[in-house]
Amino acid sequence: MANNITMHQQLLCSMLEAIINKALSLSLNGTQGLYALEQKNLVVHLAELGFPLSFIVSNSKVLVTSLSENPDCAIHTSIKTLVALKNEHQLTDLIKQDKLDIVGDIKVAQHFASVAETLNIDWQSELAKHIGDIPTYKLTQFSKKVADKLGFAAKQIQADSSEWLVHEKRLVVTSSQIAAFNLQVSELDIRTETLADRFLAVEKALLSKANK
Amino acid sequence: MSLQDQDNQDNSTHFGYQTVDKSEKESKVAGVFHSVAAQYDVMNDLMSFGIHRLWKRFTIDASGVRPGNKVLDLAGGTGDLTAKFSQLVGKDGQVVLADINSSMLNVGRDKLRDRGLVQNIEYVQANAQHLPFEDNTFDIITIAFGLRNVTDKDEALRSMYRVLKPGGRLLVLEFSKPEQELISKAYDFYSFNILPKMGELVAKDGDSYQYLAESIRMHPDQETLKDMMDNAGFEQTTYKNLTGGVVALHKGYKF
Repeated sequence: MANNITMHQQLLCSMLEAIINKALSLSLNGTQGLYALEQKNLVVHLAELGFPLSFIVSNSKVLVTSLSENPDCAIHTSIKTLVALKNEHQLTDLIKQDKLDIVGDIKVAQHFASVAETLNIDWQSELAKHIGDIPTYKLTQFSKKVADKLGFAAKQIQADSSEWLVHEKRLVVTSSQIAAFNLQVSELDIRTETLADRFLAVEKALLSKANK
Repeated sequence: MSLQDQDNQDNSTHFGYQTVDKSEKESKVAGVFHSVAAQYDVMNDLMSFGIHRLWKRFTIDASGVRPGNKVLDLAGGTGDLTAKFSQLVGKDGQVVLADINSSMLNVGRDKLRDRGLVQNIEYVQANAQHLPFEDNTFDIITIAFGLRNVTDKDEALRSMYRVLKPGGRLLVLEFSKPEQELISKAYDFYSFNILPKMGELVAKDGDSYQYLAESIRMHPDQETLKDMMDNAGFEQTTYKNLTGGVVALHKGYKF
């Protein structure tokens, strides 16, 4: 088992390294963003993984290892939190909630994030290099048509299923029905409170008469 | 008495399954590697299905290398480990790629230069038994798939210990003994029936790959190699089996 983890760990690092460097080589912005990160080491400890991921920049390439010693910046977090970090304003909240722990130079992490955000790949040009301009154009148009049709079909299915559930089978109610029901509940609540007040008043009146 | 002890007492050693004079082994091994050097990387990928790259990555992670370290990649061949170490030690560090075989060293040097890795790498043709470096020179020494080809392994380990700095570590990545009988049988079938044919087909040299299979079987198993490292002076020696023990990574420190 331990051996498997070891090999999976190396396989993951190897694949990440290949994907990152391929993406950087395809980016229209090139690898200029990496110059400031030369020999910098960002270590990310993800809760879902049992080992650290270390990103080291060397000769405008990113090396991915599980070496965790002497990082310039170390981040302890989870994949879910990383997704939430897309919204920069949440950074402070996530740190306060102990969902994110950053040790070291935060600028290194910000710089890595900035490199990732500025990746700009012209997928059509890249595809054209392999299959030619006209097939790429045809394929792109076809993909758009398929995406449009799938989008339309998805909306249609959603509408039809709503119709079936609400009106034919009456398994689900509409939002206006829920709103009307909520209103009725509120009105009943007010009437109940009024009735309770009247009961109290009658009770007080009876008690005062009995005392006399 | 172990095979290694026998070798030390008489003047014979093993070249695959053959028993040869110690003075002969070096030239016979050299012949093998002169023959396979050009196709070495292709054959490595084919023979191991690319897994050798993961074994080497694990070795690098286990080395704990840091920027500024001085690393000796012994029997470094075509420079897979050197390439990664060179990037990790940075411009303040240094990597020495050493190999006894000039053909392997030339292929490695050309490959690394083609990849633009030049600033912190030195190339040295050296015999592991008589390393041409001062005492206490290196932070890390690695020898990947090379130790089994060395004529006197004990002498080589002592030589590595000498050139290692106090606090430094040696990592030996080498074929070893599979942990399970089933894997062992499948591995034997593959090594003796498929590997030489693959070598014949791709590298046009079936004999060299027959030697490879035989030399792996004659190499000390995990525990024996660990004892040999202890005897050479290494401390806190441990090993980790990879791919079911087909390969093992031994690690020892000099304090």
